[in-house]
Amino acid sequence: MTSIRCWTVMTLTAILFTGLLGLALAPAETCLSPFVKRLEKPEKYLYVFCVDADAKDNDFLAVIDVDAQSPKYGQILYQLDLGSAGNETHHFGFTDDRTHIWGCSLFSNRLFVINVADDPAKPKLVKAFDSSKETGLTGPHSPYALPGRMLISFLGGKDGGLPAGLAEFTNDGKLIRTWEMPHEAPYGYDVAINPDLNRMVTSSFTPPQNYRKPIAQMDLKQFGDKLLVWDFRGRKLLQTLTTAASPLECRWSLKKDAKHGYVNCALADSIWVWEGDAQNHYTARKLCDTGKLPVDLSQSPDGRFLFVSCFASDEVQQWDVSDLKNPKLFSTVKPGVEPNMLHLTGDGQRMYVTNSLLSTMDRSDDFWVRLIRVGPDGMKMDPKFNVDLTKFKTGPARGHDMLLY
Amino acid sequence: MSALALLTALLASVGETDNSRLAVIRTPADFTLTTQDGKPFRLSSLRGKVVLVSFVFTTCNGTCPATTHRMVLAQQALAKAGLLDKVHLVSITLDPARDKPAALREYMRLYDIDAKHWTFLTGSPQQIDKVLSEWGMWVRPTANGQLDHPSRVFLLDGRGRLREIYDLQFFRPRWVCEDVQLLLNDDASAKHR
Repeated sequence: MTSIRCWTVMTLTAILFTGLLGLALAPAETCLSPFVKRLEKPEKYLYVFCVDADAKDNDFLAVIDVDAQSPKYGQILYQLDLGSAGNETHHFGFTDDRTHIWGCSLFSNRLFVINVADDPAKPKLVKAFDSSKETGLTGPHSPYALPGRMLISFLGGKDGGLPAGLAEFTNDGKLIRTWEMPHEAPYGYDVAINPDLNRMVTSSFTPPQNYRKPIAQMDLKQFGDKLLVWDFRGRKLLQTLTTAASPLECRWSLKKDAKHGYVNCALADSIWVWEGDAQNHYTARKLCDTGKLPVDLSQSPDGRFLFVSCFASDEVQQWDVSDLKNPKLFSTVKPGVEPNMLHLTGDGQRMYVTNSLLSTMDRSDDFWVRLIRVGPDGMKMDPKFNVDLTKFKTGPARGHDMLLY
Repeated sequence: MSALALLTALLASVGETDNSRLAVIRTPADFTLTTQDGKPFRLSSLRGKVVLVSFVFTTCNGTCPATTHRMVLAQQALAKAGLLDKVHLVSITLDPARDKPAALREYMRLYDIDAKHWTFLTGSPQQIDKVLSEWGMWVRPTANGQLDHPSRVFLLDGRGRLREIYDLQFFRPRWVCEDVQLLLNDDASAKHR
């Protein structure tokens, strides 16, 4: 009797578990950490990390109504004052349980921990701290959820130089550990983990000493061209792959059982692919040439398409990568001047776009959030969704990364 | 004590975890809760053993059955690897109002769980709230009468220090065995220093 009961429970549990695992593996928004809880309903709020454009007033998080049924659809509902100015607020990341957003700032080294679960329409700042004090690292860039923790990639080390590094924190902001990038590949930028393969990939930009300069004064020789492949569980470097200059956003393919991923090489106007063999050994090669200065990379939930924003040619391209030997440009839209961050919904149908890269690199002061509709025929701009980020009481704001709730 | 011996002792005291791939995440505070048999149970009574801790509730129709199923598989793998006598599993209820000791016993019976190596715990709502807060966990009622909560499994070393946090996707029996063996090796090497 006991064995029959146990077998029944186990079988039912296994069936349930298979379903749940499917849920867990389904993309939240397609470029988030795989450890982040997925959004199981259409989005209501879009959070945009905003830099006060002249760096005189405090930076803030803008809450935009993206509930299609709401009378305030497309309007800014709330501004969360971050309490300080000149941070160059940049990338966002949810904690694994989707209750808090961690925000990184490239100039001040501050990390912001923001509660969005208690009142998603009015997030609260829980903690802001200078991450360089404890870590010795500078230029915090990508906040990436691990179970119960946050992994942060840093662009620089001591005094804004090299080597860059990585640090892990508890979800409430206590440092667990740090480690530096290797001497032969000292740059840092993004991080992407594939738990199934037990592999982590990190990419290369340039340290704070360089990116804080006006773009004309930046030293183009101080940009990395390496992808690092790590044993994720061991946090151990396994391979150093060479790409073109400045590989930025790392995306593991969302195709089932895929062993490859993509990165946009910003200074080489191209997308590269890294590919693993049966032994989990990786190589990298150029996949396709893109528009000018590809700065962000997104992916359809089925892994068929890549979306790349080309900051200098004012376009977003959609590439069909179902055949890695023959990628095809599928559609292109022109959202406006210098499109940058892309945020695709979990159903792959709506992609929000902002248009600030860095205050040292922006060439326009017309800042906005727009919406691209993605359908069977490709991308189309939604003319009804256009959030103006230039009319705040404090003046224009540069919108960068986005998250949905 | 020679300078070399002093240096060796200092290196030992700063922690064998410095070179371990499983960093010390934090040390959760000790607690006393009530077992499935209605007896008091202190977490620190497990010192010397590696401990896996999950948070579930018995009427969950979401992720908890999968968490418990995975814990069962991990326990089987640990037994096969000859490690089970050095490990204890603990499951703490997220729903103390409904999960009294009798409910926990029935849940264990459904999964054929042997209490020798696995203890289920409940307590007053205040006690459970305190433990949840300490472990970075939370529960929120949902419209359908269920509870929303993170699904994590925590790995403690023999000194009660948190060394790994798994989610369902990452909670693989083989990897759990490797992690447990690593912590046992750490503990053994610490004793010899």
